[in-house]
Amino acid sequence: MTIHKPMPAGQVGRSLPRLESREKVTGRADYVHNIRLPGMLIAKVARSTVAHGRIVSIDTSAARQVEGVFAVYTGEDIRKIIPEPYYGPAFHDQPILALGKVRHVGEPVAVALARDAHAAEQAAQLVEVVYEELPAVFDEVEAMDSKAIVHDVLKPAGTFPDLKHLHGKKNTNIALDFHLRRGDVDKAFAGAAHLFEHEFHTQQVMHTPLEPMVSLAEPTRDGLTIHTSSQSPSFVRIEIARLLGWPENRVQVKVPYLGGGFGAKLYIKLEALVAALALLTRRPVKWSLTMEEQFYTISKHATTFRIKSAVDAAGKITGRSCAVYWNGGAYADIGPRVTQKSGFTAPGPYDIENVAIESYSLYTNRPPAGALRGFGIPQLVWAYESHTDLIARELNIDPVEFRRMNILREGRPQATGTAMKDAAIDLVLEKLAERMNWSAPFDRGGGTVRRGRGVGIGFKASISPTTSVAFVNIYADGSCALYMSTVDMGQGSDTAMAQIVAEVLQVQAESVRVIHPDTDVTPYDMATLGSRSTFHMGNAVKLAAEDAKQKLEAMARSVGVPEGSNLETREIFKKKYGMQAGNVMGVGSYIPGYKSPDSVSGMSDNITPFWMIGGTGVEIEVDTETGHVKLTKLVNAADMGRPLNPRIVETQLSGAAIMQLGFTMFENMEFDAGQVTNASFADYKIPGIHDIPPAIENHIVLAEQGGGPFGAKGVGESATFGVSPAIANAIHDAVGVRLTDLPLTAESVLRAIRLKAGNPIGD
Amino acid sequence: MISFELAEPKTLNEAIALLDAEDPEVRPISGGTALMLMMKSGVFRPSRLVSLQKVEADYSRIERGSNGSLRIGAMASLSQVEHSDEVRRVAPVIEKTMRHLSNVRVRNVARLGGNLAHGDPHMDLPPVLSSLGAKAIVAGPSGQREILIEALFSGYYETVLKRDELITFVEVPPQAGWSSSYIKCTTRSADDWPALGIACSLRIEGGSIGDVRLMISAATEKLTRLVSTEKVLRGQKVNEATFERAGESAMAEAEVIGDSRGSASYKSELVRVYVRRALRQAGLGETQP
Ligand SMILES: Cc1cc2nc3c(=O)[nH]c(=O)nc-3n(C[C@H](O)[C@H](O)[C@H](O)COP(=O)(O)OP(=O)(O)OC[C@H]3O[C@@H](n4cnc5c(N)ncnc54)[C@H](O)[C@@H]3O)c2cc1C
Repeated sequence: MTIHKPMPAGQVGRSLPRLESREKVTGRADYVHNIRLPGMLIAKVARSTVAHGRIVSIDTSAARQVEGVFAVYTGEDIRKIIPEPYYGPAFHDQPILALGKVRHVGEPVAVALARDAHAAEQAAQLVEVVYEELPAVFDEVEAMDSKAIVHDVLKPAGTFPDLKHLHGKKNTNIALDFHLRRGDVDKAFAGAAHLFEHEFHTQQVMHTPLEPMVSLAEPTRDGLTIHTSSQSPSFVRIEIARLLGWPENRVQVKVPYLGGGFGAKLYIKLEALVAALALLTRRPVKWSLTMEEQFYTISKHATTFRIKSAVDAAGKITGRSCAVYWNGGAYADIGPRVTQKSGFTAPGPYDIENVAIESYSLYTNRPPAGALRGFGIPQLVWAYESHTDLIARELNIDPVEFRRMNILREGRPQATGTAMKDAAIDLVLEKLAERMNWSAPFDRGGGTVRRGRGVGIGFKASISPTTSVAFVNIYADGSCALYMSTVDMGQGSDTAMAQIVAEVLQVQAESVRVIHPDTDVTPYDMATLGSRSTFHMGNAVKLAAEDAKQKLEAMARSVGVPEGSNLETREIFKKKYGMQAGNVMGVGSYIPGYKSPDSVSGMSDNITPFWMIGGTGVEIEVDTETGHVKLTKLVNAADMGRPLNPRIVETQLSGAAIMQLGFTMFENMEFDAGQVTNASFADYKIPGIHDIPPAIENHIVLAEQGGGPFGAKGVGESATFGVSPAIANAIHDAVGVRLTDLPLTAESVLRAIRLKAGNPIGD
Repeated sequence: MISFELAEPKTLNEAIALLDAEDPEVRPISGGTALMLMMKSGVFRPSRLVSLQKVEADYSRIERGSNGSLRIGAMASLSQVEHSDEVRRVAPVIEKTMRHLSNVRVRNVARLGGNLAHGDPHMDLPPVLSSLGAKAIVAGPSGQREILIEALFSGYYETVLKRDELITFVEVPPQAGWSSSYIKCTTRSADDWPALGIACSLRIEGGSIGDVRLMISAATEKLTRLVSTEKVLRGQKVNEATFERAGESAMAEAEVIGDSRGSASYKSELVRVYVRRALRQAGLGETQP
């Protein structure tokens, strides 16, 4: 359904089926779970049963007695290999196994190793830990000034220069605070014709990749090989080398296919423990999480968002303040980045003169939170698009029209001061309005079934500045391979990148071999996250292919092939080397420009190399007797520049929207004293086939990304943005009630309906 | 290494002999869909599992009696029950229920006996079968006995079965003149366990309710017959006002419990609405010939 003109070689813009699809559906694709090595030990961990406590003693004697157990280790044993065993991308705050203290239920405290998984598991259950419980804090707003302090001292990693000032800070749970001030928001509030203030909440949810996390470390003669289900092989190598005090070249990290990642498998997760265990035992060690254990490993931030807007008599938003509190859980993971990077866009895609933003990353005694498909943006869009809709309704302006009046147009500065460029927000809104038939009369239903509709639009800055490197290797027979560390976790990156190589080299994309991440072979890439690969790696791949092409042309010239000759590549190699021999290696390396936000004002004129834009419109039916909400139509629209592969883009849009649908309607990690009470698929529900709306449309707006490879940019998250507020807005439209907390359960809808009718349901 | 014994008896009597009235670590296993989950989560650690796979042939047949009754072997898979013409002719409500019972993978493996014996109040078949007036035929060391499905459950995940008893058949009486419905309500994903199940069968005589069986499941600790509400219904005209009154009565009668699928007070509201809707469906639906 692309409207873009095809590229000259016809490779970019082609809806090529995924290269690995046959391998996957026939069960031949490699996954770490399938790897078995001679002498391999299986690790199972004993986990904390308290949310916050000092470890008084750990008794592993009963565990060691279990038949078949090879060893049982605690944090102190890890220290023999890694003296400072703390890891993390933003803070070095997470111990490989708990040391002295535990900070959330489910934190790994000890590990049992055996050839047999059942023996290891039984041993892990027999580890006796005595805790002295400490007061715990679970709520992000309470964490702001709670007496319970999760970390005694803050330990920023130093990887990100703008966190350095937090080094050694004590008595606080605030891991990062980002502030932005533009114009004079107080003055705008004072002079406003209308003021609106709301508070919104999102719940903690989990990525639920269907392939749970798994890592396997194998000691080599003087190093380590780690097979891992990771989205960031280069980061794993660097971080493991740092922990061990080794040069990078002694650590090899290999990643086959992933069964989903969604941000769960980023930075390091299981790798540090298996690395330490492999060195302690001199045996291959594998650690596979169960689905249940994933709930204690990484999750999506719960948030509280207080938003206030000033609107003038004409309906123009003149000022907006945003205070966002991110519940980061016990370890920072990438939370501080989420807090800052998404903080940039907290006021939404609107042209507002006066803006104030505060965004706080908080430590609590919950399982850690990190990046999940959208890097914090869905939490923000939930609030600002609900708020925007409320304002429009209050002012009696059509919600789409109100957005039109305030939308951030091309060239206008966004909150940080960066001018919008190649950001088709208006086109996305108009596409939704068109496909929803917004200006036509709408059937509102009747009786106990009321119908409503709503929209939500959002945008996201790319996570910058980050680097990607790629090699394109042309072999002597003219065939070629792409070497890169982008991880194909189901998003189709192998296929899209092969299309880029094919377009440059003018070959069929199917013939390009993609070499999977192996840090001994494939070059550096920051990580597969935040929809950055298409733009960053895409550029590196294009540069590498162009470099290879130029080198091949130079080689042709050097052996006297006339310009413009159509001599086959293999003949050029033969002329050069006298036989089928040699390589042409193209190298591409890419890092976009970026300017850090000013440490006081939060402003920057170059905050991102590109903007991701997405929006969703829904039509729903509400059962007024039960509160059930049924989606009858879901329309997604996004600007991803030129789609490299329209079919893959479409599946990314529908996939992202359906994932967010689960987070909107029912997914929810429930807690009792820090313990997740529904940590399994029996009780934590994700959308199934019967939850998919009968009509889904995915639209690619006609746009082109300057500086993107063939005008492309990322799209993996864009359709998560608008879903939650679109549904809440549609519920409001249908039955006149407003929900401010996710998930939008049938019970909360019915309670709101009954409250409004003056006939509330008791507790 | 943690091990257990897996016995595969060939006859029913052998199977019963391998069970143990006193030992909770010995259990029969049919499809294993429920039991394996319990073993995986560590709730259940068997010393012996007695597989019913090899005695299955005799006890997985589905037969219709000349009087219009139905006899279903307890080892029949849920798919077999779903696709049986005999079942559809006697009680079409069973086939309709199956379509939304878990998913095809579970239905292919799970057995009727396991669905009943597990005692989980969220299962769909106990309310449906009990509203049809069905009974379980149970075999033990001292012979056979019959238990009405509505009397099979004694508590949350508890049944009146002894540890050395097996369900062998389910018998559904003739349904001529009855009309049945089952609606369940999920509050999270569509394939979630129900927050509430309401099954009812009505015998309609001259526009009035001659007889009724009304069952509630999932929202209550165990499958429960709404006896007082049935009294409200008997003899009344089949109309909206009757259904409405029954809904109110059921709401007052049912002892619902709150959980992650909804608070008790919300589920009470659902009871009122769903009893009304289930009665409407049965009342306006066709009766069985
Ligand atoms: C993902 C999933 C979703 C599900 N969703 C639903 C749903 O929506 N609705 C629903 O109704 N069910 C649902 N189920 C449950 C499923 O229907 C039951 O697990 C199944 O019916 C149990 O049958 P089984 O043969 O597998 O039992 P098993 O696991 O083999 O046994 C269950 C119990 O019954 C005992 N037992 C087995 N056979 C006999 C017998 N003949 N006599 C005496 N005791 C016996 C066993 O000892 C055990 O205690 C779901 C299950 C799964 C895994």
